[in-house]
Amino acid sequence: MTDDLEPLRRSRPDRLLPDDPPDPEILVREKARLMSAITGPAGTAEHRRTPSIYPRLAYRDEVAALDFLTRAFSLVERREARMEHPEGTLAWLEIGDGVVMIGRAGEERHGLRSPLDAGAPTAMVNVYVHDIDIHYRRAESAGAEIVMPLEDMFWGDRRYEALDSEGHRWHFAERVSETRAHRPAP
Amino acid sequence: MEESDGAVIAESLQAAGAFGVIFDRHGSTLLRFLARRVEPAEAEDLLGEVFRIAFERRSTFERDRDSARPWLYGIAANVVAKHHRSEARRLRAMGRVCADRLLDDDPAERAVAVADANARWPRVMDAMATLPEAERQVLLLFAWEELSYDEIASTLGVPVGTVRSRLSRGRGRLTALTRGRDMTTDVPLTSCDAGGGR
Repeated sequence: MTDDLEPLRRSRPDRLLPDDPPDPEILVREKARLMSAITGPAGTAEHRRTPSIYPRLAYRDEVAALDFLTRAFSLVERREARMEHPEGTLAWLEIGDGVVMIGRAGEERHGLRSPLDAGAPTAMVNVYVHDIDIHYRRAESAGAEIVMPLEDMFWGDRRYEALDSEGHRWHFAERVSETRAHRPAP
Repeated sequence: MEESDGAVIAESLQAAGAFGVIFDRHGSTLLRFLARRVEPAEAEDLLGEVFRIAFERRSTFERDRDSARPWLYGIAANVVAKHHRSEARRLRAMGRVCADRLLDDDPAERAVAVADANARWPRVMDAMATLPEAERQVLLLFAWEELSYDEIASTLGVPVGTVRSRLSRGRGRLTALTRGRDMTTDVPLTSCDAGGGR
C-alpha cells in the first residue's frame, strides 16, 4: 500500500494535540449515569415489580407511540426495561402503580393489530391519574384527539377519553373527592 | 478465565447491572474514538448515548462473540453520523491546528513547507468533512482507529469487499479533493509536522 493516508493518520486529533486527552473523570461520571439509567438510582433494582395484570398494545410505529404516550399522556417509561429487536422495540410504561407494555403490530407479533389496521379500537385502557385537569390540558395541547370531554360523572369520577397516536382509546380519571384538594372551590 | 463479552451481555439480560462490565472494558476506547470525531464537549454526551443504545439493543448481540468492541464502534459510528456538523467543525479545527503549526516552524523549512503543505493541509481535513459518509467512516476507522478490514466490516455490518471498495474510493476522492485547487505540482501531501521536528 502506498503511504497516501499518512497525512490523515498524522492528523488524528490526539496525535496533533497529545497534551489534550479526554478527562478521565468523564469515564467515572458516565459510568455512574449509565448504571443509574439501567438499574435505577440505588443501583440495586434489577427488575421493578410488574403488576399481575397488564395489557400489551400494538402499534405500526411503536417508537412514535412511545414518544406520544410519554409526552401527551404523561406515562413514564421504564428505561431499563426497553428492548430493541430487529422486529421492533418493546417498552414498558407506567403511571401510578399500573404498567402497559407496547410493541409493534403484526402477524408475527402475537397477531396483535393497531386500530389503524383494525379500523376501530377494540379495547380501552382505564387510568387513574393525579390531577386530572393538568393531565387533560397536557394531552390536549400535545394534540391528542379528545373523544369524551372532561367532566364530573355521577359515579364519582372526573374523567375524559382520548385516542393515542394510532387510535387506541384511553380513559383518564380521578375521583371527584380527590380533585377537591387541587381544584379551586367553585 | 475472564468471561467473554458475549457471556457478560447474556448475563445482563437477567441482571442489568452486569452491563457495567462492558463499560469498564470498552468505555475508554469509545471515549477516545468519540473525542477524535466530534468536539470534546460533545464526546462526553455521546459516550453516554452509545452505551445506552447498546444496553437497549443488548438482546441482539450474539452471545458466542468474544468482543463487543466492533459492535460498539458500529453504534458509535452511527451516533457520530447524526452529529455530522460537530464532526465537520472538529475536522476543520484540526486542519487549522496543522496550518498554525507550520507557521510556527523553522523559517528555512517553512519556505518549502508553506508553499506546499500549508496550503494543502487544512484541505485534507476540509476534504474529509465533505466526503460521503460511508467513505469517511471507513477511512477514519482504518487510519485513526487502526481497525483491520475484517473489524471494519463487522463494525459497519457490511462485507469485507465493500470495505475495500469504499476505502479505495475514499482514498481516490480524498486525493482528488486535496489536489483539486493545485494541479501545478505533483508533490505528495506533506504531513502537518513536516520540518517542525516536533
